[in-house]
Amino acid sequence: MKVTFPHLGTMHIFCKAIAETSGIPYIVPPETSRRTLTLGVQHSNECICLPFKMILGNFIEALQMGADTIVMVGSGPPCRLGLYDLVQKVILEDMGLRYRWLTIPPRLTWQAIWKNYEETKELKKELSWKNILLFPYGLRMGWKKMMACEALEKLAMKVRPREVQKGETQKRLKKALSGVDEARTLRTLNDALQKGRTLLQETGQDFSRVPLKIAIVGELYTVMDPHINRGVEQKLGELGAEVTRTSWFSTHILRSLRKNKADQNSERIRFFEASKAYLGYDVGAECNLSIGEAIVRSQEGYDGVVHLMPFACMPETTASGILTRVGKDWDIPILTLILDEQEIEGRIQTLLEAFIEMLQWKRKAA
Amino acid sequence: MANYLGIDVGSITTKMIVINERDEVLAEVYLRNNGRPLEAIQQGLESISSRLDGETSIDGAATTGSARHLAAYLVGADLVKNEITAHSIAVIDLFPEAKTVFEIGGQDSKVIVLREGVVVDFAMNTVCAAGTGSFLDQQAARLGISIEEFGRLALKAKQPVRVAGRCTVFAETDMIHKQQIGHSIEDIVGGLCDSLVKNYLNNVCRGKEILSPIVFQGGVAANQGIRKALEKELETPLIVPEHFGLMGAMGAAKLVKRAKPFRTLFKGFELSRKSCSTRGFECSECENQCEVVELLVDREVVACWGDLCEKYRKSSGPMIG
Repeated sequence: MKVTFPHLGTMHIFCKAIAETSGIPYIVPPETSRRTLTLGVQHSNECICLPFKMILGNFIEALQMGADTIVMVGSGPPCRLGLYDLVQKVILEDMGLRYRWLTIPPRLTWQAIWKNYEETKELKKELSWKNILLFPYGLRMGWKKMMACEALEKLAMKVRPREVQKGETQKRLKKALSGVDEARTLRTLNDALQKGRTLLQETGQDFSRVPLKIAIVGELYTVMDPHINRGVEQKLGELGAEVTRTSWFSTHILRSLRKNKADQNSERIRFFEASKAYLGYDVGAECNLSIGEAIVRSQEGYDGVVHLMPFACMPETTASGILTRVGKDWDIPILTLILDEQEIEGRIQTLLEAFIEMLQWKRKAA
Repeated sequence: MANYLGIDVGSITTKMIVINERDEVLAEVYLRNNGRPLEAIQQGLESISSRLDGETSIDGAATTGSARHLAAYLVGADLVKNEITAHSIAVIDLFPEAKTVFEIGGQDSKVIVLREGVVVDFAMNTVCAAGTGSFLDQQAARLGISIEEFGRLALKAKQPVRVAGRCTVFAETDMIHKQQIGHSIEDIVGGLCDSLVKNYLNNVCRGKEILSPIVFQGGVAANQGIRKALEKELETPLIVPEHFGLMGAMGAAKLVKRAKPFRTLFKGFELSRKSCSTRGFECSECENQCEVVELLVDREVVACWGDLCEKYRKSSGPMIG
């Protein structure tokens, strides 16, 4: 048995840790490249959104490398991506690829546990007792690595707008993350995290700068994966903005475990409450949160909001319409970027540069 | 007196302008890229230098437009600026009272909202190029008329036909259908202008507060048909600046004038006589598989980009911002 998982931000680092620690063989798909996208586009319906195509491409590449078990998160309707695990299964089967599929349920319900039980029954035959015994430790290791990656990424978001040498933070972040990736025990992981922190903090910074504050909101795959959003987070940082986002793996996992009382999630409840002035009910996926976060960020004195969505994404198309109104009502500039498979990196750069300049003018005038 | 060069390399055309410290235009060039921006920049430099006094020196150069980085590496620019800001600067300087800017170019269409001389909102087409200059060009070519004549024909339309303007492919289907059932060419061309304008206002300008005075610029501002259709739809006259096609280049020149570089990086007009080319390859050193591009002048690599790890880079890039 060889498990595989899609690329999504730093997800491969902690998925790998779980498999590695419990001694389950795994394959990390090659880093998302143009080949990945080409494969994804070739085998999917053209109206489907970019995250779907990218993830499908990851799976095809991993299966071609010999993986036989796919682990994928399902999220359920009304976002189309929530049902995409089912669609992807059909496509991969049509391609003649042989594999098994494990869906991580979006919400822990009895139904989901039952479904997973059915799926894992077969797998259990292949897993040794050692694997099963080590699995809780693997999960702990994975969780710790995920938190370490997020801590480093959050730190990089603060350092980037103040860096003296442009691009320096990104290089250091990459190094710090690979340190986390290489750690094998909880102790070495702690060391790697500390080293990574120091590495980032030692970036040459100009502390006299007062960076603009920008929140990134939108569809979660697009917000979390730099391959899908063409590095918007890095670009904004390098243009001199301190970026915040609330979509992290930990947020979504805690949400699915219904640990809504945790600090991070109470923030999401606040966003949801704020969106009620514009939306009477839950539209699904991140729609309400995108709107609510824009309002809350405006109250918190942020300079602007960048809204990311894949082309034809239903919940976010709804959000983008309402956001134009929110921007006016709350006097906060909002830039919506629609992402698709075209090479629009140059265009994104142009829009972001102009957006940053507009915010600087606004700040000067105030 | 100090002189400044602004270069705007767009998707279809290349524009250059030289201004002096008093913002007087000394020379200007507007030419088509024909898909070869390097050659266009060289040609542009040659023809603009021929229009200048032999003693005119350049004290600063700035580039803008979608090929602004390529142009900056080639000519040696002191400043690289995105086209949205460049266009806004030119308008704010020339028409301080303007509240809206419409800019329709070869593949881009933008709307910029100004209030009291400051940009407060903007939008640019992202996933669709319907209604931009390239499509008008294509349709003029299909009808066998020049793009200049296209605008004049549209003005003669008596009963403009309805054309679906949302997608260029379907617009063409619609136009062919109308032509085959016998509508006059003036009415079809007029109908196309109307529908492109509606598409621009509905898509690019959606949700934006369009207040007059409105400045209309970019290559398409030359098209009288589009101009009239916009005025009819908005029920207000538009201001079309004298150098409507060169506003991006003018904004860039004004910005470098303000920045006042101590010593310019501009490599001089001789560049037009050197051999310039680019060479691309896919690096296979790591999983990133970067498409690396090298810029060669007189067979020597002068700049390189596209490599994420920056291992091929020799010179540091120009100032961006």
